[in-house]
Amino acid sequence: MTKLAALLALAFAVPALAAPESFTLDHRHSFPSFRINHLGISMQLGRFDKTTGKFTIDRAEHTGSVELTIDTASIDMGFDKWNEAMRDQDWFNVAQYPTMSFKSTALVFNGDDVAGADGEFTLLGVTRPVSVKLSSFNCIVHPMNKKTVCGGTATTTIKRSDFGMKKALPGIGDEVEITMSVEAFKD
Amino acid sequence: MKYALAAALISSFLAAPAFADTYTADPNHTYPSFEISHLGFSVSRGTFDKTSGKVTLDMAAKSGSIDMTIDTASITTGMAKRDDHLRSEEFFNIAKYPTMTYKSSKLKFNGDKLVGADGELTLLGVTKPVSLDVESFHCGAHPMNKKALCGANASATIKRSDFGMTTYVPAIGDEVKIEIQIEAYKD
Repeated sequence: MTKLAALLALAFAVPALAAPESFTLDHRHSFPSFRINHLGISMQLGRFDKTTGKFTIDRAEHTGSVELTIDTASIDMGFDKWNEAMRDQDWFNVAQYPTMSFKSTALVFNGDDVAGADGEFTLLGVTRPVSVKLSSFNCIVHPMNKKTVCGGTATTTIKRSDFGMKKALPGIGDEVEITMSVEAFKD
Repeated sequence: MKYALAAALISSFLAAPAFADTYTADPNHTYPSFEISHLGFSVSRGTFDKTSGKVTLDMAAKSGSIDMTIDTASITTGMAKRDDHLRSEEFFNIAKYPTMTYKSSKLKFNGDKLVGADGELTLLGVTKPVSLDVESFHCGAHPMNKKALCGANASATIKRSDFGMTTYVPAIGDEVKIEIQIEAYKD
Protein backbone atom coordinates (compact mmCIF):
# COMPACT_ATOMS: atom_id res chain seq x y z
CA MET A 1 0.00 0.00 0.00
CA THR A 2 2.71 2.44 0.95
CA LYS A 3 4.48 1.25 -2.15
CA LEU A 4 1.47 2.26 -4.26
CA ALA A 5 1.30 5.68 -2.54
CA ALA A 6 4.97 6.17 -3.25
CA LEU A 7 4.46 5.24 -6.90
CA LEU A 8 1.51 7.63 -7.19
CA ALA A 9 3.48 10.39 -5.54
CA LEU A 10 6.30 9.76 -8.00
CA ALA A 11 3.87 9.76 -10.91
CA PHE A 12 2.35 13.07 -9.85
CA ALA A 13 5.76 14.52 -9.24
CA VAL A 14 6.32 14.41 -12.98
CA PRO A 15 5.33 17.86 -14.20
CA ALA A 16 1.86 17.63 -15.69
CA LEU A 17 2.66 20.33 -18.27
CA ALA A 18 5.50 18.41 -19.82
CA ALA A 19 3.92 17.91 -23.21
CA PRO A 20 6.42 18.15 -25.99
CA GLU A 21 4.92 19.10 -29.32
CA SER A 22 6.49 17.72 -32.44
CA PHE A 23 6.82 19.43 -35.80
CA THR A 24 7.79 18.31 -39.30
CA LEU A 25 9.74 20.63 -41.57
CA ASP A 26 7.88 22.02 -44.59
CA HIS A 27 10.48 21.36 -47.28
CA ARG A 28 8.82 23.92 -49.59
CA HIS A 29 9.64 26.75 -47.20
CA SER A 30 12.80 25.53 -45.50
CA PHE A 31 16.05 26.15 -47.34
CA PRO A 32 19.57 26.43 -46.01
CA SER A 33 21.57 29.04 -47.91
CA PHE A 34 25.12 30.22 -47.44
CA ARG A 35 27.48 33.07 -48.24
CA ILE A 36 31.15 32.58 -48.89
CA ASN A 37 33.94 34.95 -49.85
CA HIS A 38 35.13 34.54 -53.45
CA LEU A 39 38.73 35.72 -54.07
CA GLY A 40 38.21 38.69 -51.74
CA ILE A 41 36.16 40.17 -54.59
CA SER A 42 32.56 39.28 -53.73
CA MET A 43 30.40 37.18 -51.44
CA GLN A 44 28.76 34.36 -53.38
CA LEU A 45 25.49 32.74 -52.34
CA GLY A 46 24.43 29.13 -52.60
CA ARG A 47 21.40 27.13 -51.55
CA PHE A 48 20.46 23.52 -50.82
CA ASP A 49 17.09 22.65 -52.31
CA LYS A 50 16.26 19.48 -50.30
CA THR A 51 16.10 19.43 -46.54
CA THR A 52 14.02 17.23 -44.25
CA GLY A 53 13.67 17.40 -40.51
CA LYS A 54 11.76 17.28 -37.28
CA PHE A 55 11.79 19.27 -34.12
CA THR A 56 10.14 19.00 -30.72
CA ILE A 57 9.41 21.79 -28.29
CA ASP A 58 8.26 21.59 -24.70
CA ARG A 59 7.31 25.16 -23.95
CA ALA A 60 6.65 24.51 -20.25
CA GLU A 61 9.95 22.79 -19.65
CA HIS A 62 11.91 24.97 -22.09
CA THR A 63 13.36 21.90 -23.73
CA GLY A 64 13.28 20.39 -27.16
CA SER A 65 15.22 18.91 -30.00
CA VAL A 66 16.05 19.44 -33.65
CA GLU A 67 17.08 17.01 -36.35
CA LEU A 68 17.79 18.27 -39.87
CA THR A 69 19.09 16.31 -42.85
CA ILE A 70 20.30 18.19 -45.90
CA ASP A 71 20.72 16.48 -49.27
CA THR A 72 24.24 17.54 -50.32
CA ALA A 73 23.57 16.84 -54.02
CA SER A 74 20.76 19.43 -53.96
CA ILE A 75 23.30 22.28 -53.91
CA ASP A 76 22.37 25.13 -56.24
CA MET A 77 24.97 27.80 -57.05
CA GLY A 78 23.19 29.15 -60.15
CA PHE A 79 24.75 27.14 -62.96
CA ASP A 80 25.13 23.44 -63.64
CA LYS A 81 28.88 23.24 -64.12
CA TRP A 82 29.49 24.90 -60.77
CA ASN A 83 26.94 22.63 -59.06
CA GLU A 84 28.70 19.58 -60.48
CA ALA A 85 32.07 20.84 -59.27
CA MET A 86 30.65 21.34 -55.77
CA ARG A 87 29.34 17.74 -55.73
CA ASP A 88 32.70 16.17 -56.52
CA GLN A 89 35.13 14.76 -54.00
CA ASP A 90 37.10 18.01 -53.56
CA TRP A 91 34.02 19.66 -52.07
CA PHE A 92 30.86 17.95 -50.80
CA ASN A 93 31.82 14.48 -52.05
CA VAL A 94 28.17 13.57 -52.46
CA ALA A 95 28.95 10.02 -53.62
CA GLN A 96 30.45 9.22 -50.23
CA TYR A 97 28.46 11.73 -48.11
CA PRO A 98 24.99 12.16 -49.59
CA THR A 99 23.75 14.09 -46.57
CA MET A 100 24.90 16.51 -43.93
CA SER A 101 22.98 16.88 -40.68
CA PHE A 102 22.35 19.08 -37.68
CA LYS A 103 21.16 17.51 -34.42
CA SER A 104 20.45 19.20 -31.15
CA THR A 105 18.82 18.21 -27.88
CA ALA A 106 19.61 21.56 -26.29
CA LEU A 107 17.29 24.29 -27.48
CA VAL A 108 18.08 27.76 -26.19
CA PHE A 109 15.12 29.78 -24.89
CA ASN A 110 14.70 33.49 -24.42
CA GLY A 111 11.71 33.65 -22.10
CA ASP A 112 9.15 31.39 -23.74
CA ASP A 113 10.60 31.84 -27.21
CA VAL A 114 13.02 29.50 -28.89
CA ALA A 115 16.11 31.57 -29.63
CA GLY A 116 18.58 28.95 -30.78
CA ALA A 117 20.02 25.50 -30.49
CA ASP A 118 23.34 24.06 -29.36
CA GLY A 119 24.02 20.94 -31.32
CA GLU A 120 26.26 19.01 -33.63
CA PHE A 121 26.78 19.50 -37.32
CA THR A 122 28.01 16.59 -39.43
CA LEU A 123 29.60 17.35 -42.80
CA LEU A 124 31.87 15.02 -44.78
CA GLY A 125 31.52 12.53 -41.93
CA VAL A 126 33.06 14.96 -39.43
CA THR A 127 30.91 15.95 -36.42
CA ARG A 128 31.56 19.22 -34.61
CA PRO A 129 29.61 21.30 -32.08
CA VAL A 130 27.72 24.14 -33.74
CA SER A 131 25.44 26.72 -32.14
CA VAL A 132 22.60 28.08 -34.20
CA LYS A 133 20.78 31.35 -33.50
CA LEU A 134 17.07 31.41 -34.28
CA SER A 135 15.48 34.79 -34.92
CA SER A 136 11.87 35.83 -35.32
CA PHE A 137 10.58 32.41 -34.31
CA ASN A 138 6.80 32.43 -34.12
CA CYS A 139 3.83 30.15 -34.64
CA ILE A 140 0.54 30.84 -36.38
CA VAL A 141 -2.50 28.98 -37.63
CA HIS A 142 -1.91 28.69 -41.38
CA PRO A 143 -4.53 30.88 -43.12
CA MET A 144 -5.31 28.24 -45.73
CA ASN A 145 -4.96 24.75 -44.26
CA LYS A 146 -5.64 25.86 -40.63
CA LYS A 147 -2.75 23.80 -39.27
CA THR A 148 -0.37 25.17 -36.67
CA VAL A 149 2.85 26.19 -38.38
CA CYS A 150 5.99 27.67 -36.86
CA GLY A 151 8.63 29.64 -38.69
CA GLY A 152 11.83 31.54 -38.21
CA THR A 153 15.31 32.17 -39.50
CA ALA A 154 18.29 30.18 -38.27
CA THR A 155 21.81 31.52 -38.66
CA THR A 156 25.29 30.34 -37.84
CA THR A 157 28.86 30.60 -39.08
CA ILE A 158 31.20 27.66 -39.53
CA LYS A 159 34.71 27.11 -40.83
CA ARG A 160 34.66 24.57 -43.62
CA SER A 161 38.24 23.52 -42.85
CA ASP A 162 37.00 22.23 -39.47
CA PHE A 163 35.14 19.58 -41.45
CA GLY A 164 38.04 18.77 -43.74
CA MET A 165 36.81 20.80 -46.72
CA LYS A 166 40.04 22.56 -47.59
CA LYS A 167 39.88 22.94 -51.36
CA ALA A 168 40.93 26.38 -52.73
CA LEU A 169 41.64 27.92 -49.31
CA PRO A 170 41.96 30.85 -48.81
CA GLY A 171 40.90 32.13 -52.27
CA ILE A 172 37.50 30.68 -51.54
CA GLY A 173 36.82 31.72 -47.94
CA ASP A 174 37.09 29.35 -44.99
CA GLU A 175 34.28 31.03 -43.12
CA VAL A 176 30.78 30.13 -44.31
CA GLU A 177 27.78 32.21 -43.19
CA ILE A 178 24.69 29.99 -43.09
CA THR A 179 21.10 31.26 -43.11
CA MET A 180 18.15 28.93 -43.10
CA SER A 181 14.49 29.80 -43.48
CA VAL A 182 12.41 27.36 -41.45
CA GLU A 183 8.74 26.51 -41.54
CA ALA A 184 7.36 23.43 -39.81
CA PHE A 185 3.86 22.08 -39.33
CA LYS A 186 2.74 20.63 -36.01
CA ASP A 187 2.32 16.85 -36.32
CA MET B 1 49.71 84.44 -76.60
CA LYS B 2 51.95 81.60 -75.55
CA TYR B 3 50.37 81.65 -72.13
CA ALA B 4 46.88 81.76 -73.60
CA LEU B 5 47.65 78.71 -75.74
CA ALA B 6 49.14 76.88 -72.78
CA ALA B 7 46.16 77.79 -70.66
CA ALA B 8 43.80 76.62 -73.40
CA LEU B 9 45.69 73.33 -73.72
CA ILE B 10 45.66 72.77 -70.00
CA SER B 11 42.00 73.60 -69.68
CA SER B 12 41.10 71.39 -72.62
CA PHE B 13 43.14 68.58 -71.06
CA LEU B 14 41.31 69.04 -67.77
CA ALA B 15 37.96 69.21 -69.51
CA ALA B 16 38.62 66.16 -71.66
CA PRO B 17 36.46 63.20 -70.68
CA ALA B 18 38.36 61.24 -68.10
CA PHE B 19 39.18 57.66 -68.95
CA ALA B 20 36.40 55.23 -68.05
CA ASP B 21 36.97 51.48 -67.93
CA THR B 22 34.23 49.15 -69.08
CA TYR B 23 33.54 45.92 -67.22
CA THR B 24 31.36 43.03 -68.35
CA ALA B 25 29.46 41.07 -65.71
CA ASP B 26 30.60 37.47 -65.27
CA PRO B 27 27.28 35.59 -65.52
CA ASN B 28 28.70 32.75 -63.46
CA HIS B 29 29.32 34.97 -60.44
CA THR B 30 26.59 37.59 -60.84
CA TYR B 31 23.26 36.76 -59.25
CA PRO B 32 20.47 38.94 -57.94
CA SER B 33 18.68 37.28 -55.03
CA PHE B 34 15.74 38.42 -52.95
CA GLU B 35 14.04 37.94 -49.61
CA ILE B 36 10.32 38.24 -49.08
CA SER B 37 8.07 37.69 -46.08
CA HIS B 38 5.92 34.55 -46.21
CA LEU B 39 2.69 34.96 -44.23
CA GLY B 40 4.46 37.44 -41.99
CA PHE B 41 6.32 34.77 -40.11
CA SER B 42 9.17 33.40 -42.18
CA VAL B 43 11.37 34.65 -45.00
CA SER B 44 11.39 33.08 -48.45
CA ARG B 45 14.38 33.50 -50.73
CA GLY B 46 14.95 33.28 -54.45
CA THR B 47 17.61 33.90 -57.06
CA PHE B 48 17.76 34.78 -60.74
CA ASP B 49 20.28 32.56 -62.48
CA LYS B 50 20.80 34.61 -65.68
CA THR B 51 21.99 38.19 -65.57
CA SER B 52 24.06 40.09 -68.11
CA GLY B 53 25.35 43.62 -68.21
CA LYS B 54 28.07 46.21 -68.24
CA VAL B 55 29.49 48.59 -65.67
CA THR B 56 31.70 51.56 -66.53
CA LEU B 57 33.94 53.04 -63.88
CA ASP B 58 35.99 56.20 -64.02
CA MET B 59 37.88 56.12 -60.76
CA ALA B 60 39.55 59.51 -61.42
CA ALA B 61 36.32 61.34 -62.16
CA LYS B 62 34.38 59.24 -59.62
CA SER B 63 31.68 58.53 -62.14
CA GLY B 64 30.32 55.60 -64.05
CA SER B 65 27.28 53.68 -65.11
CA ILE B 66 25.44 50.38 -64.67
CA ASP B 67 23.32 48.62 -67.26
CA MET B 68 22.09 45.18 -66.16
CA THR B 69 19.49 42.89 -67.69
CA ILE B 70 17.96 40.04 -65.69
CA ASP B 71 16.24 37.12 -67.37
CA THR B 72 12.94 36.87 -65.45
CA ALA B 73 12.41 33.22 -66.47
CA SER B 74 15.64 32.29 -64.68
CA ILE B 75 13.98 32.67 -61.26
CA THR B 76 14.65 29.82 -58.86
CA THR B 77 13.33 29.37 -55.34
CA GLY B 78 14.25 25.73 -54.80
CA MET B 79 10.96 24.24 -55.96
CA ALA B 80 10.04 23.87 -59.66
CA LYS B 81 6.28 24.15 -59.15
CA ARG B 82 6.61 27.46 -57.31
CA ASP B 83 9.09 28.76 -59.91
CA ASP B 84 6.51 28.07 -62.65
CA HIS B 85 3.89 29.96 -60.66
CA LEU B 86 6.27 32.90 -60.25
CA ARG B 87 6.79 32.95 -64.04
CA SER B 88 3.04 33.23 -64.67
CA GLU B 89 0.93 36.33 -65.25
CA GLU B 90 0.27 36.57 -61.50
CA PHE B 91 3.88 37.44 -60.80
CA PHE B 92 6.71 38.03 -63.32
CA ASN B 93 4.61 37.45 -66.44
CA ILE B 94 7.68 36.29 -68.36
CA ALA B 95 5.77 35.75 -71.63
CA LYS B 96 5.17 39.48 -71.82
CA TYR B 97 8.17 40.73 -69.81
CA PRO B 98 11.11 38.36 -70.39
CA THR B 99 13.57 40.74 -68.75
CA MET B 100 13.84 43.31 -66.02
CA THR B 101 16.57 45.92 -66.11
CA TYR B 102 18.53 48.20 -63.82
CA LYS B 103 20.21 51.26 -65.27
CA SER B 104 22.18 53.97 -63.52
CA SER B 105 24.39 56.77 -64.70
CA LYS B 106 24.91 58.10 -61.20
CA LEU B 107 27.36 56.09 -59.16
CA LYS B 108 28.26 57.21 -55.66
CA PHE B 109 31.79 57.04 -54.28
CA ASN B 110 33.37 57.39 -50.90
CA GLY B 111 37.05 58.03 -51.65
CA ASP B 112 38.05 55.25 -54.05
CA LYS B 113 35.22 52.97 -53.01
CA LEU B 114 32.02 52.58 -54.94
CA VAL B 115 29.31 52.82 -52.26
CA GLY B 116 26.08 53.11 -54.18
CA ALA B 117 24.11 54.01 -57.26
CA ASP B 118 20.96 55.95 -58.04
CA GLY B 119 19.16 54.40 -60.97
CA GLU B 120 15.99 52.99 -62.38
CA LEU B 121 14.55 49.51 -62.17
CA THR B 122 12.17 48.38 -64.88
CA LEU B 123 9.95 45.45 -63.88
CA LEU B 124 6.72 44.40 -65.61
CA GLY B 125 7.24 47.37 -67.93
CA VAL B 126 7.11 49.85 -65.04
CA THR B 127 10.17 52.04 -64.42
CA LYS B 128 10.82 53.47 -60.96
CA PRO B 129 13.85 55.01 -59.27
CA VAL B 130 15.76 52.54 -57.12
CA SER B 131 18.94 53.28 -55.15
CA LEU B 132 21.51 50.57 -54.53
CA ASP B 133 23.79 50.42 -51.51
CA VAL B 134 27.12 48.81 -52.27
CA GLU B 135 28.39 47.08 -49.14
CA SER B 136 31.68 45.86 -50.44
CA PHE B 137 33.62 46.80 -53.52
CA HIS B 138 36.92 45.23 -54.45
CA CYS B 139 39.05 45.08 -57.58
CA GLY B 140 42.02 42.83 -58.24
CA ALA B 141 43.57 40.39 -60.64
CA HIS B 142 41.91 36.99 -60.85
CA PRO B 143 44.46 34.55 -59.37
CA MET B 144 44.05 32.07 -62.21
CA ASN B 145 43.32 33.91 -65.43
CA LYS B 146 45.11 37.13 -64.28
CA LYS B 147 42.41 39.36 -65.76
CA ALA B 148 41.39 42.57 -63.99
CA LEU B 149 38.22 41.92 -62.03
CA CYS B 150 35.94 43.97 -59.81
CA GLY B 151 33.28 42.62 -57.49
CA ALA B 152 30.68 43.89 -55.09
CA ASN B 153 27.60 43.01 -53.10
CA ALA B 154 24.81 45.51 -53.47
CA SER B 155 21.41 45.74 -51.83
CA ALA B 156 18.14 47.59 -52.19
CA THR B 157 14.58 47.33 -50.90
CA ILE B 158 11.61 47.80 -53.21
CA LYS B 159 7.86 47.43 -52.97
CA ARG B 160 6.63 45.04 -55.63
CA SER B 161 3.22 46.74 -55.72
CA ASP B 162 5.00 49.87 -57.05
CA PHE B 163 5.62 47.83 -60.21
CA GLY B 164 2.10 46.42 -60.35
CA MET B 165 2.96 43.00 -58.86
CA THR B 166 0.18 42.76 -56.31
CA THR B 167 -0.74 39.05 -56.18
CA TYR B 168 -1.08 37.82 -52.56
CA VAL B 169 -0.07 41.14 -50.97
CA PRO B 170 0.20 41.18 -47.95
CA ALA B 171 0.29 37.39 -47.22
CA ILE B 172 3.35 37.29 -49.46
CA GLY B 173 5.10 40.51 -48.46
CA ASP B 174 4.99 43.68 -50.52
CA GLU B 175 8.48 44.64 -49.47
CA VAL B 176 11.25 42.78 -51.29
CA LYS B 177 14.81 42.93 -50.03
CA ILE B 178 17.24 42.52 -52.92
CA GLU B 179 20.87 41.48 -52.69
CA ILE B 180 23.08 41.35 -55.77
CA GLN B 181 26.43 39.66 -55.93
CA ILE B 182 28.40 40.87 -58.94
CA GLU B 183 31.79 40.15 -60.45
CA ALA B 184 32.81 41.86 -63.67
CA TYR B 185 35.91 41.58 -65.87
CA LYS B 186 37.54 44.62 -67.44
CA ASP B 187 37.00 44.59 -71.22
